[in-house]
Amino acid sequence: MEAFSEALRYLAGSFFGTVGFAMLARVPRRAWLASGVIASLVYLVYWQLPWMGISEYLAVFCGSFLGSILGHLCARRMRIINTVYLMSAIVPVVPGLGLYRMMASLGQGQMSQGASQGVQAMIIIAMTALGLVMGSFLDRLIHDKNGKGGTP
Amino acid sequence: MLRERKETVPPAGKPAVPGTRPMVEETEIEMEALQLAAQMIMENGGETFRAEETVRRMGQGFGLRQVESFAVPSGLFISYRTAEGKLETSIKRVHHRSTNLTTVDAVNQISRETAAGALRPEKALSRLQGVSALRERGRGPMPMGAAALCAGGFAFLFQGGWREALLSAAIAALVQGVSLLLTMIGDPGIATNILGGLLTAMLSSLVAGWIPGLLTEAVVAGALMPLVPGLAMTNAVQDTLRGDMVSGLSHGASALLTACLIAGGALLAPPLLRLMSGGGL
Repeated sequence: MEAFSEALRYLAGSFFGTVGFAMLARVPRRAWLASGVIASLVYLVYWQLPWMGISEYLAVFCGSFLGSILGHLCARRMRIINTVYLMSAIVPVVPGLGLYRMMASLGQGQMSQGASQGVQAMIIIAMTALGLVMGSFLDRLIHDKNGKGGTP
Repeated sequence: MLRERKETVPPAGKPAVPGTRPMVEETEIEMEALQLAAQMIMENGGETFRAEETVRRMGQGFGLRQVESFAVPSGLFISYRTAEGKLETSIKRVHHRSTNLTTVDAVNQISRETAAGALRPEKALSRLQGVSALRERGRGPMPMGAAALCAGGFAFLFQGGWREALLSAAIAALVQGVSLLLTMIGDPGIATNILGGLLTAMLSSLVAGWIPGLLTEAVVAGALMPLVPGLAMTNAVQDTLRGDMVSGLSHGASALLTACLIAGGALLAPPLLRLMSGGGL
């Protein structure tokens, strides 16, 4: 029951958090729901994979990769710019807490701890970008065989 | 370029040489439509490759030849050859930047229709102007609600409970309100990021002092999430992937700078609070 409640909290948190972020970026209304669902799925992957013994960094990559693939898919289906969905795919895995901890440590003069937390956060950001790039690359490979670029 | 050409044209649409067609007005409309489309994309948070693609596709949809464009985050160049073989070129600076993906999507839709040959230059320009006019309207308190939803949701992800989520939402809404107020007074630029980080951290620390057992880091991290440069990060990846290193690096640097300013503002909060309270906090 507790695990279910935790899962519900994380899924709802990533959904509403990302929909709020999308609203701030003035994303078209018809994309709100799909943005939230993509974000929830990305977070589900990021949250569950470490339980299966996979490192957190790889989990971030997998989540971001899945988000990128789903984002491109939704953009094509709904004929909305892919930026909308790609942004939603990376927002839930932004290491907000890690960056805050780094700031707090640096502010308290704990340089070594702060640097370590900062490096961890940077690796997560790099993995997020890598997942996004790989997903976009795969999408272009499949849908852009003529090399002229997809629908802008 | 457009202004210069206007001076060389005889008034009231009279051709310079009798028997020839006054082409200038027609090509001006095409250039204006291309410029406005690309400018709106770049001003509203679209990627530079998207602006370039839009110009190319719309230009081809207008029946222009050799349509070329080169965009960087601060401006763009457009060049094409008219049906008469005349080469037209223009430069447009992009001064103002904000985030409105609905506008980018609307321009993209117009671009698709133009590329399919469904829109004439006059109609495309008129629709672009309509979208641009719509963009100027205010949004009321919606950004505050959006920031609250965003912060509250992410507070849950950062191990917070209902209490942390509600406080985070209230602080984010307040910070967003201050930011809107500053925007109404003038263009605050990067000051918004510093002030956003500072206010968020200060308010969270103050509230944490009043409520025992509060998970402060969930409140602060959640409330900072609406300020995260998510779109700049996405654009940096997208532009770099398309081989546009200049724009990719520019967007990446912008995201990094924004994050540093927010962090800097948040780091200023504890010493400022200590100073204000005489060491009590």
